[in-house]
Amino acid sequence: MSEPEEGTTTPSRREARRVRRASAKQRGAWYPRWFWPSFATPAIVWQILFFAASFYVILAIAFGTQDFFRNPLPVFQPWWWDFSTFTDQLGRIFGGVYQDVYLRTFGYVLTASLTCLLIGYPIAYFVARYGGRRKGLFLALLIMPFWISYLMRMYAWQSLLERDGYVNDVLTFLQVFQEPFGWLEGHGITVVIGLVYGYMPYLILPLYGQLDRIDQSQLEAGRDLGASPARTFWRVTLPLSKPGILAGLIIITLPMFGDYYTNALLSQSPRTTMIGNLIDLTYVTPGLAAQGASLVLTIVVILIVPMLWYLRYTARAAEAK
Amino acid sequence: MPEPREHLLRRRGPTSELSRRRFLRASASTAIALPSLSAVLAACSKPGTEAPEGATAPAGTTGPYPLARTDNPVTLPIHDDIQPIEDNLPVETGATLKIYNWADYMWKKVINDFCEEFNCDYEWTTFNNMSEAIQKMSTGQVADVFFPTVDQLGKLTYGKLLQPLNLSYIPNLAANMWPQYQNPFYDQEARYTVPYTTYTTGVAYRRDVIPDEEAEAQGYDLIWNPQYSGKVGIYDDARESLAMAMRRAGVDDVNTTDEATIQAAKDDLVELIDLVNVRTTINGVYVKLPDGVYDVHQSWSGDIIGAQWYLSDLNTPGETDILGYWYPPDNVGVVGNDVISIPANAEHPVLAHAFLNFMMDETHAFDNFTWNGYQPPLTSMNPEKLIEAEMGAYAPNKGPGTVPPSVPRAVVTEEMFDKGMWLLELAPEDELKWQTAWEEFQAGAGA
Repeated sequence: MSEPEEGTTTPSRREARRVRRASAKQRGAWYPRWFWPSFATPAIVWQILFFAASFYVILAIAFGTQDFFRNPLPVFQPWWWDFSTFTDQLGRIFGGVYQDVYLRTFGYVLTASLTCLLIGYPIAYFVARYGGRRKGLFLALLIMPFWISYLMRMYAWQSLLERDGYVNDVLTFLQVFQEPFGWLEGHGITVVIGLVYGYMPYLILPLYGQLDRIDQSQLEAGRDLGASPARTFWRVTLPLSKPGILAGLIIITLPMFGDYYTNALLSQSPRTTMIGNLIDLTYVTPGLAAQGASLVLTIVVILIVPMLWYLRYTARAAEAK
Repeated sequence: MPEPREHLLRRRGPTSELSRRRFLRASASTAIALPSLSAVLAACSKPGTEAPEGATAPAGTTGPYPLARTDNPVTLPIHDDIQPIEDNLPVETGATLKIYNWADYMWKKVINDFCEEFNCDYEWTTFNNMSEAIQKMSTGQVADVFFPTVDQLGKLTYGKLLQPLNLSYIPNLAANMWPQYQNPFYDQEARYTVPYTTYTTGVAYRRDVIPDEEAEAQGYDLIWNPQYSGKVGIYDDARESLAMAMRRAGVDDVNTTDEATIQAAKDDLVELIDLVNVRTTINGVYVKLPDGVYDVHQSWSGDIIGAQWYLSDLNTPGETDILGYWYPPDNVGVVGNDVISIPANAEHPVLAHAFLNFMMDETHAFDNFTWNGYQPPLTSMNPEKLIEAEMGAYAPNKGPGTVPPSVPRAVVTEEMFDKGMWLLELAPEDELKWQTAWEEFQAGAGA
């Protein structure tokens, strides 16, 4: 039964509460009502400053104007917003010159995400189930790539994928190719390889966390009820690891959509331009800030759909518990 | 012993395609230039495109200010509230000279020499593109010397970001620089700028793949030759790349505002996507052509001179022979120069004038050239002497041995500039045509 509101409490109840509070204070277990919620303050301030306010600035630039120097001049009053640049950009995305870039980006991100899952799941599964005492070591090995900056790792890939690089050496030795393949000469597959390599650990770590939390007794129950190992995996492990799969996919998919440096370092061909590259182009070109901000908004709209779906899924899962 | 390769140069932008600086900047800024506080406050009151106070259009011009052309020289305005410094002021001593320049576009040794001579310290700040530089300048970035491109001078001077020079502090301009820079068409009377470096835009190629005769016969068509598919690069620069396509098609006005001409140039570039699987780079010439990643690349003359430092074995005579550079034999092609200027808010204007003069001193200008490959327009710079006699002759401060003998056309001459075509400022609505065409190419439109 919930406690009556402060204003409606009777004097005796108020007295009882005062006594309880005094007793709690004596035990050192009393905190004012604002104490625990105040712990959220840093996160709230962070969100306001670096998400809400920043996002509003992007809106103000997308619907704003520019100054004499062609710098972006944000317009913060919605009644002065000019939507012409944004609608122009939408026209270019749907049926215009950007359409192929958007479809291509979707294709790359989808392919790279699924490849990450196909490779990452067995790794996470192995570490969670068979890591034993060496789990810590395996996790350290998974995190190890982060010791080196992403940029450096992509430069390393440039070296590996050169015509006379090690990748071609191995592939020609194994007779996969008769001639060295020009990996860096503007191919979508190279960009996808770069994305898979760059984002894989981000998928494995949450997936590992989820798999590690699966109660062993549930797997044993599946086996005791006569399910084969494959069926146990399919009916028990996989469904239970779904939150981890979704979290991992969300974590890698969101930044992949905005990624521009993987393509810039491993391809540089207009054939493989992604949305992030278009945004980068508007950044370095005078007077195109509103165009760039409009493209950022389109990415936000694209990404908000899977994000909302994920939130809904996790909310339902929490309710089910 | 040759200098370490790392000291090499780039005319524009970061050392690498994606320098750490740029990466960090991009990561931190969500790829959108966040406005400064002043811009935010300005926007709160009244949105619109307005020139700063007093920056009015001269009579008889249609735009906010006249656009410089070789056949239409401009005299930049001197504002009442930003006057040149007085004559005979003492140079500030013990000061910190704030230099705002492109990344890797000046040899630190030269700056150290300056500071030693003038008893000062220096602070080195870089920008990656003019858009970023002007944004920071217009929102309060303080600097004593600044390195703009010629096509931004109208904006910078009418926007009151630069201060007029007092040429009495800069005698080396008259003494050492080409005659055309005494009164350049983009800044009559040299009111705001002195020249820094010059360059031509041609085609770099590997001579071990493409003989000189073939390069001579093909010219710009080297870029469009499917024989080199997968090994062809052009600059990631809208104006330079579209202008190259225009020159190949025989267009004489590389500052055209004609939509059809711009679209035709774009179509020619789009053709490259399937024809040769073209890639767009900034460091392709000096880093990757020596490595064999590219056989052909659009090239600034300074980049191909700098490319020698990226060859694997500099001590082997003849190693630089693989580098080739084509520029139209009639010397009618795209040329350009960068300039040095003094911002209106310079804290040490006399020291800044001394720096400009120092950079046009023959020894120091030549020193800098040996490091960055971009040639200063010194009257004393004999093209013959710039070409090295044999490998290993590289010797900073001593003269000969800077340009590999295989790229004689990379040496910039006054004749090239007499006949050359500059990429100059366009009105915003015309610039948008170029930018849109470039975006369409980058998006792989129609490929």
